[in-house]
Amino acid sequence: MAQTQRQTALTTTKPRAMSELARREERTALWLLLPSFVIILLIAIYPLGQVFYSSFTSARFASSEPTRFIGFENYRNLLSMTIRQLPPKLDEQGNPVITDGERQYETWVRILPRQPRRYSSVNEFNFFGRRYVLGATNAEFITAIWDTVVFSVVSVVLETIFGLIIALTLATKFIGRGVMRAAMLVPWAIITVVSARIWEWILAPTRLGFMNTFLSDIGIGDGNIGFFTNSSLQLPSMITMDVWKTTPFMALLLLAGLATIPKELYEAAEVDGASKIRQFFSVTLPLLAPTLAVALIFRTLDALRVFDVFQVVLGSQRYSMASFAQDMLIANRDVGLSSAASVVIFVLIFAFAIFYIRVLGVDSE
Amino acid sequence: MNKKTRLVLGQVFFWLLITLIFIYLMFPFYWATVSALKTEQELIQTPTSYFPKELSLQNFAAVFRNDSFLRGLLNSTIVALSVTVLSLLIGSFAGYALGKMRFRGKSPSMYLILAMTMFPQIAVLAGLYAVIRTLNLPAIPSMILSYMIFTLPFTVWVLTAFFKGLPVSLLQAAQVDGADMMQTFWQILLPLTAPALVTTGLLAFIQAWNEYLFALTFTSIEPTARTVPVAMALFSGEIARQEPVGEIMAAAIVVTIPLVVLVLIFQNRIVDGLTAGAVKG
Repeated sequence: MAQTQRQTALTTTKPRAMSELARREERTALWLLLPSFVIILLIAIYPLGQVFYSSFTSARFASSEPTRFIGFENYRNLLSMTIRQLPPKLDEQGNPVITDGERQYETWVRILPRQPRRYSSVNEFNFFGRRYVLGATNAEFITAIWDTVVFSVVSVVLETIFGLIIALTLATKFIGRGVMRAAMLVPWAIITVVSARIWEWILAPTRLGFMNTFLSDIGIGDGNIGFFTNSSLQLPSMITMDVWKTTPFMALLLLAGLATIPKELYEAAEVDGASKIRQFFSVTLPLLAPTLAVALIFRTLDALRVFDVFQVVLGSQRYSMASFAQDMLIANRDVGLSSAASVVIFVLIFAFAIFYIRVLGVDSE
Repeated sequence: MNKKTRLVLGQVFFWLLITLIFIYLMFPFYWATVSALKTEQELIQTPTSYFPKELSLQNFAAVFRNDSFLRGLLNSTIVALSVTVLSLLIGSFAGYALGKMRFRGKSPSMYLILAMTMFPQIAVLAGLYAVIRTLNLPAIPSMILSYMIFTLPFTVWVLTAFFKGLPVSLLQAAQVDGADMMQTFWQILLPLTAPALVTTGLLAFIQAWNEYLFALTFTSIEPTARTVPVAMALFSGEIARQEPVGEIMAAAIVVTIPLVVLVLIFQNRIVDGLTAGAVKG
C-alpha cells in the first residue's frame, strides 16, 4: 500500500518536471526555427501568393492605369487554342493549286479567328489527308511549353543513357580514376551562362566556329550551318549544351548508387555463370532503380524550369517557359500575364512531380 | 579468339572509352582556352585553326581592364559569400532544432522545408520583384535574401540529418556539466558539424555564384550590381568589334578557374553533398 502511494507520488511529480523541461525545449526549438520560417515566408510563400493573385489582375510595372481584377483573362490570353481545317487553295477556275506535286492550302491568317481574340499559328499538320492548323492566342507561350517539354524529355533521356555508360565505365578501378571524377565535376560546377557562351562560340554559324570547321573538314555541311538560327537546329543545340553540362551530375549520382550494390551479388552471379550483360539486367539495373528514379525526378524538374541557356543564346527569338515569363515581366512589364505564365509553369512542374512519384513509386522517405 | 586477345581488346576498348569521355567533358574548356590565347587576327580567320599559331595574353589583359567585369567579380563574391554564411548560420539553427529537439509541429516543418526544394524559382519571380520594389531594396541585398530560396532548404535538410546522427550522450554529458541548449550548440555540436558545414557551404556557394534568373531580373535597373553571370551574358569588350569573342573566352576561363580549384580540393565532399539524399545506405 505504502509502496503504491510512493509510486503515484513519483509518477505525478515526474511528468511535471519533464514538461517544464519539454516546454523549454519546445520554446528553444521554435526560436531556432523562426529565422528559417521568416525567410521562407518572405521569399517563397508571400511572393507565390502575390504571383497567384496578380495572375488575375491587369497589373503592370510603371503604368499609369490602375490595376483591375480581370478574372481568368490572362489565362485565356495565354492558353486559348483552336484547331481549324485549312481549305485547299483554289485558282480562278476553282481547281486546287498544285505546285511541285504538292497541294497548296490557304494561309492560316485567313482561317484563324480574329475576334474576340486574335489567334496565330503554332503548327500545321496533316491528318487523314486533310490539312489542319493549330492556332493559339499566344503562339509564343504554347510553343515555349512544347519546346520545354521536348527539351526536358530528350535531355533527360540522353543524360540518363550517357550517365549510365559513364558511371559503369568509372565503376571499375583504374589508374587516373580520381582525375576522371574531378573532370566530371567541372562541367557541373561551371556557370551555366559561361558554358552557354563557350558553346555559342563552338557552334558559331560560320567557319569561325569549331563545329562548322570540323564538320566541313570531314565533309558534312557547307561550313555555314546556323545552329542557333535554323529553327530545326535550335532545340538540338540547346539539348547538346544541356546534356554536356548535366550528364556528369547524373553519372555521379549513378556512380554513388552503384557503390551501394554489394559485391557478393556479382560474385554469386559469376558463380552461377551469368554473362556480364545478364548481370547488368538482373543485378545492376534492379538495384540501381531507386537511385535512377530519384535522379530522373531531380533532373526532369530541373530541366522543365530551364532558363539560362535559352535566355543567353536565343533571347526572345525562341522561349523556354521560364524565359517567356521572365521576358514578359522585364521587357513587357506585364506583371499579370507573367504571373499567369508562372502559375501555369508551377502547375505543370507539380503535375510532372506527382506523375513521377506515382509511376516510379518513389517512397516519401 | 583466345582469352588473352579478348582481354587485351577489352582493355583497349575500355581506355578508348575513358579517353572519349575525357575529351567530351574537357573539349569546351580546351576550345575556350585556345580561343582566349589566340591573337585578334587569328580569331577572325576562316576556317578557324585547331591549335593557336601564336600565343597572346592580350585578351586576358583586356579582361582585367574591363571595369564592368571586375565589378561583377566583386559583386558575385559579396553575394555568394553572404548567402553561404547566412544559409549555414540559419540552416544550422533549424537543423539543430529539427535533428535533436522534440516539439509539436516537427514533421509539418520538415515537409514545408522539403517542399521548398521542389520550388521553381520562376514561380515566385514576379512576386519577389514586387516585394523588392515595395521595400526599395537595392539589388545586392535582394539577391542575398532571395538566393536562400534554393540554398536554405538544402542546407537545413543535410544539417538536420547530420545533427540527428550525433550521439545523444554528447548532449546529456553537456547537460550534466550544466550547459544550456545554446551553449551545447555553439561549443559542442557546431564544431562537430564542421564537415557537413563545409560540404553544404561549398554547394551553396557554387549555386549562388552560378545563379542567373534572379540576378538578371533584379539588376535590370541597377547595372552596377551585376554579378558575373549577368556580366558574362551582356559582355561588351574593350577592343572594338561586334562580338569580343577572345575576351569573352578569357573571362570564361578567369571565372571558371576558382571553381576548378574548389572542385579539385573538395571533390570528395562535393560528391558526398550532391549524392546526399539521392542514394540510400
